[in-house]
Amino acid sequence: MPEPIESILAKHDRKQEELIPVLQDIQKEYGYISPESVKKISRYLRISENQIYGVSSFYAQFRFTEPGRHSLKVCLGTACHVRGGATLLEMLERSLGIHCGETTSDKRFDLERVACLGCCALSPVVQIDKEIYSRMTVNKLTEHLKDYE
Amino acid sequence: MTKEKKISITIDNKQVEVRPNITILQAARDNNVYIPSLCALEHLPSYGACRLCIVEVDGLRGFPTSCTTPVEAGMVVRTDTAEIRGLRQEILKLLLSEHPASCLFCDEHDECKKFMGTIRKVGVITGCRYCPNDARCEIQEIVDKVGLTETSYPVYYRGFPVEKNDPFYDRDYNLCILCGRCIRVCNSIRFNGTLAFKQRGKLTTIGPAFDRTHLEAGCEFCGACVSVCPTGALSTKTSKWYGIADAQVGTTCTFCSVGCRLLLQVKNDEVIDVLPDYDDTVDQGLICVKGRFAIPEYVNSPQRNTTPQKLTPVGYEVITWDQAFDLAAEKLSGVKPDDILVVISPQLSNEDLFVAQRFVRQVLGSPPMMSSVLFDLGNDISSFFDLVLYTSTYDSLETAQGILSVGFDSTYGYTPIGIAAKRAAQRGAVLVTLGSCDSNLDMLSEASFKMEPSRWAGFLDVFTDSLARKGKGKSRGTKEFAGNLNEVTEALSGSSANVLIMGPEVIFSYRRNEVFERIKVLRDRLGWKIIVAHPYTNLIGMLAMGAFPGVKPGELLQNGSKSIKLGLPSLDPTKRKKLVYLVGEGRFDIIPDCDYLIYQNAIMPSSWRQPDLILPTSLFPESPGTTINVERRILTLEKATGQYMDSRADWWIMTRIADRMKKGKFKYKDINSIQNEIKKQIPNFKASKKKVDFVKIDFKNGGKWLKGSTKVEPESLPSATYSSYRGIPLAQVVGGMKIIEDWDRSSSFSDKEAQ
Repeated sequence: MPEPIESILAKHDRKQEELIPVLQDIQKEYGYISPESVKKISRYLRISENQIYGVSSFYAQFRFTEPGRHSLKVCLGTACHVRGGATLLEMLERSLGIHCGETTSDKRFDLERVACLGCCALSPVVQIDKEIYSRMTVNKLTEHLKDYE
Repeated sequence: MTKEKKISITIDNKQVEVRPNITILQAARDNNVYIPSLCALEHLPSYGACRLCIVEVDGLRGFPTSCTTPVEAGMVVRTDTAEIRGLRQEILKLLLSEHPASCLFCDEHDECKKFMGTIRKVGVITGCRYCPNDARCEIQEIVDKVGLTETSYPVYYRGFPVEKNDPFYDRDYNLCILCGRCIRVCNSIRFNGTLAFKQRGKLTTIGPAFDRTHLEAGCEFCGACVSVCPTGALSTKTSKWYGIADAQVGTTCTFCSVGCRLLLQVKNDEVIDVLPDYDDTVDQGLICVKGRFAIPEYVNSPQRNTTPQKLTPVGYEVITWDQAFDLAAEKLSGVKPDDILVVISPQLSNEDLFVAQRFVRQVLGSPPMMSSVLFDLGNDISSFFDLVLYTSTYDSLETAQGILSVGFDSTYGYTPIGIAAKRAAQRGAVLVTLGSCDSNLDMLSEASFKMEPSRWAGFLDVFTDSLARKGKGKSRGTKEFAGNLNEVTEALSGSSANVLIMGPEVIFSYRRNEVFERIKVLRDRLGWKIIVAHPYTNLIGMLAMGAFPGVKPGELLQNGSKSIKLGLPSLDPTKRKKLVYLVGEGRFDIIPDCDYLIYQNAIMPSSWRQPDLILPTSLFPESPGTTINVERRILTLEKATGQYMDSRADWWIMTRIADRMKKGKFKYKDINSIQNEIKKQIPNFKASKKKVDFVKIDFKNGGKWLKGSTKVEPESLPSATYSSYRGIPLAQVVGGMKIIEDWDRSSSFSDKEAQ
């Protein structure tokens, strides 16, 4: 069981400047910022829910939907891009029926694009959870996806 | 107050003396030096978003924005050099790269006003109407002033769908320039927090969290954002295509007892829009949705009665005023006073009320009078009056250190009181809320207690008890009120300036009398100040004018240091009457069965009952007068437009009927003659903005007025507190109010289920 939001909040002062640390702690514990947690933060820090959303949507590090069981990261850095990263992304978008930044309805996969994973020699690269898959092709990637439920 | 020492600065080679602690922009405006700006606005905190107000200051690097740079002694400022002009043009071009510019750079721009020869939104030739803000747009003005005649960047049209799903105003964020005025007014002035910037960079938009609608996000629909928007991004649904108003008339809102000042925008003898007055001392421009948006739709409603009508076996027949007076006089003279019931609305002006009581007493021979407040409160009215007649002013919230709100929510009404409480909480006062469902004050409160209204009295007992012990020790029942009651009372007991806000939910709750009594204890024993928010607009005027059973005109006003005994007369309102005369009251649920019903009001209620005679009345923007708010301040009502069709003021109608009945001298030419007579009879009735004060009243309770009428549904829903005007629910007439109320009702239901 994740730590209840109330006890996360209790670790922080009731000051507006605590907002980002609170958001980070909640995201760490739950993986995302839910509307319910925003409501609780709002009461605790006395900032409106809309302002909290405004602040947190500014930063790319916060997400507002429950993450999927596995995260798919397609590299579209220069090297991966020229070697077909975009095709891989397009294939994933089509086969999973979601856009970049979304989660499949069965919560199986999250799809994201990243700028560079730092292993350009292996391009095109796809990262699934903590595993790096190098020199990917559409066929190989489709096979690998089956390993993740 | 010590006078601030002025400092001397140089603006454009001219030495000027300016107030300290202001920005360069304010200093320039004080001295009539024009600096263009799209984001700075009086009453709003500085922001520095648009960058148009850049200036050159000796000794400062680059071009600081004048709206964020404070003045300093000896500063040398240049506002209009060639370099600044060039930069401003460039900045404006960049701004306009995301704002449709077809109305700004047009070949026919100069001829437009004269010939109006371009594409129309409307059927007649009234000029180019791509955007509802045409001719009121600040960008148009700034483009002229900055001297931009073309733009070199392609316009990036963001293609957001126009948001029309919320009541009262539409939002087209394609026109938005992200100046942040709406966000600042929503957060820093209204303390509402509905609007925020979302995302960043070119994806930035404005709106509530999680793509919620404004309704879901807790928007008050106060329209403050619409008023400050420099573009056409935010526009009022009902009045957006009207263009510029011909005239502006300041008057007082009569929808509730707060008494906000409104600036009615009048065009073609019609109220088209209403704006707040930020300089007003009563409400500081913090008006609510009713004042801001409901008035044009209400007063111009097609549901309004347009002519006198009488009921015949085959339906209503339109008659002339003369016929109507004859008929009314005949019916009223034909019955004994005891068989008549006159119901007078507490939402009339003082003048109407004065004439009404005189009409009842001198012409009709004193038949029983009744009003909705008497019906609603029943025998609890004496405790209610004891609270209402001696309320504190709203400014007591400005210095309050502790605030307790009971059954109060200021989302869709009583906003000046609610915002003052929020402002106090922001500066550190302890705010505590007690209510049956979520209140918009909860977010800023130290603690909020939720329980059914029937338990409020018990809570207040424990609260008072805990307060007396300064939050120390064990109090009875504290466990029941889970929360930090002792902590709160400890904080409150240290303060000498505590205020209790009693909301309308108390009035409509079961066991309200017990709550009234507890509040009186806080007031009389612990020195708390009390503010009452109630929907009976001119209740104070009604009592001052004597348009209330057993009260003579002026009798209750302070005159020396007497106290007065007031007994409420007995009457059973369920007893059948021969004739009922409704003066400006549309609540048919409160009147008994009768043979003949005279209905004097502006709009018909939705009811199966058909009045036998309809007398159409004018509404407050159509006739002058005075009203008294809950602070007991006398406020003026100004006439903004002519009469609607064949409607007339209430006093005018009653005077004419009285004339037909030929009893005594009963002639009033105009409102002045009534006011003169009021002054003669009620010497304590002072000039506008002054307060009236009441003597101590010793209520003799136990009048049998309200046998059978004190039914209040146990745990009544907040719907009982919804606003109506002259007995007609605003939701019946104003579409947006219906959306708000339906939504509010359904959400409070779901809250209950969740618990």
